[in-house]
Amino acid sequence: MGSRVAVIGAGMTRFVRRAQETGKELAWIASRAALDSCELTLDGIDAVCLTSAPDAFDGVHRKGDYLADGAGAWAKPYIRTYVGGGSGVFTAIQGWYTVASGMADVVLCVAEEKMSSCQPHPQGAFLTIFDNILERPLGPNLLWIFALEMQRYMHAYGLDKRDIAAVAVKNKRNAADHPAALLGQTDITVDDVLASDVLAWPVQRLDVSPISDGAVAIVMASEDAARRLTDRPVWVDGVGWNLDSTYWTNRDLAYPEYVENAARMAYGMAGITEPRKQIHVAEPYDPFDYKELHHLEGLMLFDKGKAPEAAADGVTARDGDLPCCPSGGLLGVGNPIAAAGLMKVAEIYWQLRGEAGARQVPGTPERGVAQAWGDLMQVGTVVVMGADEGGRGGSATPPQAPRATPPQAPRATALSESEFRLAPGARDEPFDAAYEWDAGEAMGRFLAGLEEATLLATRCSRCERVLLPPRMFCERCFLPIDDWIALEPIGIVETFSICHVTWDMQPLVEPQIPAVVRIDGASEGGFLHLLGEARPGDVTIGMEVEAVWKRPEEREGSILDLAFFRPRDLALRTA
Amino acid sequence: MKPRVAVVGVGWSGFAPATPSLSYKELMFEAARYAYADGAVDPRSEIDSFVCCSEDLEEGTSIFDEYVPDQLGAVQRPVQTIASDGLFGLATAVMLIRSGIAGVVAVEAHSKASDVVSHGRVARFALDPVLNRPLDISVLAIAGLEMRRYLEVSGRSLEECLAVGERSRELARGNVRASYASAVDDDDEPLFDPLTRRQAARSADGCVVMVLASADRASGGDPVWVDGVGWSQDAPSLESRDWARAVYAERSARSAFERAGLEPRDIQVAEVDDTFAYKQLQHLDAMGLDRLEHVNRSGGALSEGHLHEANGLARALALVEQLRAGEADVGVAQSWRGLPSASGAVAVMTRG
Repeated sequence: MGSRVAVIGAGMTRFVRRAQETGKELAWIASRAALDSCELTLDGIDAVCLTSAPDAFDGVHRKGDYLADGAGAWAKPYIRTYVGGGSGVFTAIQGWYTVASGMADVVLCVAEEKMSSCQPHPQGAFLTIFDNILERPLGPNLLWIFALEMQRYMHAYGLDKRDIAAVAVKNKRNAADHPAALLGQTDITVDDVLASDVLAWPVQRLDVSPISDGAVAIVMASEDAARRLTDRPVWVDGVGWNLDSTYWTNRDLAYPEYVENAARMAYGMAGITEPRKQIHVAEPYDPFDYKELHHLEGLMLFDKGKAPEAAADGVTARDGDLPCCPSGGLLGVGNPIAAAGLMKVAEIYWQLRGEAGARQVPGTPERGVAQAWGDLMQVGTVVVMGADEGGRGGSATPPQAPRATPPQAPRATALSESEFRLAPGARDEPFDAAYEWDAGEAMGRFLAGLEEATLLATRCSRCERVLLPPRMFCERCFLPIDDWIALEPIGIVETFSICHVTWDMQPLVEPQIPAVVRIDGASEGGFLHLLGEARPGDVTIGMEVEAVWKRPEEREGSILDLAFFRPRDLALRTA
Repeated sequence: MKPRVAVVGVGWSGFAPATPSLSYKELMFEAARYAYADGAVDPRSEIDSFVCCSEDLEEGTSIFDEYVPDQLGAVQRPVQTIASDGLFGLATAVMLIRSGIAGVVAVEAHSKASDVVSHGRVARFALDPVLNRPLDISVLAIAGLEMRRYLEVSGRSLEECLAVGERSRELARGNVRASYASAVDDDDEPLFDPLTRRQAARSADGCVVMVLASADRASGGDPVWVDGVGWSQDAPSLESRDWARAVYAERSARSAFERAGLEPRDIQVAEVDDTFAYKQLQHLDAMGLDRLEHVNRSGGALSEGHLHEANGLARALALVEQLRAGEADVGVAQSWRGLPSASGAVAVMTRG
């Protein structure tokens, strides 16, 4: 493996709902703060690594190029990476390999997100994350997939929602000690979370992290440079990342296998064999409260299905046996997507240096892990960090007097909705681009089948899996497929949600019931659709359902030719 | 000691004005299969890391990296997306291998530009929202502005630019990927004066996949070594950049040559960005290759088409083929991210 790489500086903006600053200015504030924290100027930076999640938030195409000067990258080697919500932690991985490859000695890693530019609601940027042919016509919103995953997780392990809500309480309370936090709250209780509005059952308002603007930056350096520039480098001991199949409806959402894969990669590199003993502080990704628990299990810090109980028992509290999200996490500090991930890396850096101020975990943590997650419940990014020689068999650096942290009071100017709209230069601009996607061979035939009220799947000749949605290749065997079979349009509900809001958070008069339906005869499930002719209270995981087709003259070769799925049990139908 | 890195497999698909029978996933699958067969690697067990190059708004999908793993054989593997041109992806693969975290890396870039109905709207969103967009100018105007300034300062002529286009189409004869080689209009329609239609590459669909490996994993076959990579950019804002020089190409070439331990005079063949004819000249000037004879023997983007984020890998593919065919021992591939960017990358490759 390449030479050692350290984090030697970190800085961030305040996380706010609507920032007065532009994306470039946010990136600059964070970059400047990170450089100041290690007394560097841009002259000392050889390359810049940037990340930012969807371009649609900022309303700027090629956002990486646009942000370059704000991120200190003018006339420097500069690459923007992204892996959805996993991006923030990934940019530290990018920084690691940029230095470890010998291409740069000192790099600046910057993560920026300005979600407030996206109107009328930043959730609009997520409408286009869904499959262009199979899912977007159903009108899905982002809450659906979280609700579907949370429901599956709760069902698989028989979890109590009170235990999950304990995470939201812990993180919002922790965030009250973070000077950059948007939603710190010392007096929030589990009952408050359980009494908050139901958005898409089982997701309630206080289970969710806030929409935010913000930026974070860190400085990373080679071993030689780190020794020269700081007396307390924090080493990147391990990095891992892993992306699962696009076909999220084909996997069991109860457990994030890709997070485990990423963790195994990072732990292997860091020489970690017993993560529960060797990790002293963790920043798992927590855009929703259940996600922190899901990820703690994927990180192998708790047994499957056991993290909620541990959270409720205080094991993950700041003064617990394994402090998790001492920063306050996304639920408390805020969730400017990519920036929130890098905030976790910065928090581990501050914790391991003993600079986390009121957030400092007790004892002298030597090893920490930061993790982020993203895409269609699909990607895991993991960074393991250690204080000097921590975990490598050497002696830990003696604890130093804690400094107030972050070293600079984080900046960013929060605007109210009306100030935001009336700010000088504020202007509305629609993004009215148009696309016509070629469905291609496999999906073209599948859609033609729907027009005939037939569900077509493909079968791989090697692994013999029956694939729905069908594809012209098997992603596991990586061979072409040309064996088509028709499946009976019946199946069972794998997971479901009762959704009460539209994508822009307007209440729905009649709730929608999105569900992942596992079709009989398919090897690994089926696809996303809506349930109809069913009372929300009657729907259960495992319920048998059947397709209801549009009338032949109304069908047009679309996923909507299948109007919805309804209960097969007549007694459960409303119509 | 950092390992030397080689290109051990290449594959491509498309390279046509439109590819209506294939989805972008199927286009990628086809190119990947060829690349893996060419490199004799099994993606499911022998490729350690995957790098894709794409921009959300060019795909019409937010967080597009969601949609890449299956068709590349990359499910449950380390996959990352670079929001940039394919040659930046190649540089990333080199870094991954040199860092020791991967021995074999696949790099993918594609264009499914025929899916985008409103290119102008998309491109416009790459302009500064406060200063530039209200002016309501097309991004193509930037090329016209830059070309005029470049000709003024460099002393190059419009005739030289027109000759680049003609020469590219001649050179492209025999290149199966050059779907625009014979597409010459009777009237050379003005775009943004002095830029005309014949001097501009036309949009095409296509995908290129390359497999890179460390020296110890590249045994056998006929490796093409990637001995130097560089990437850089000038100011992102239109108001601050140098309008005559391709500063990004100067800087990235300097880094790439230095890492390869070579001088511009050592270069025997070049495949450089020619999204616009003047760009080819400007890029050669920037890299100190203005006297080089063998430039864009493939016919370049002017003949193969404008493949958006896949432009750089298309140039690298042409270079690998020329080196493999023994046409040269040392060559360079160069890319520019296209309008309105001022960023680009360079790779120096050698054979033997």
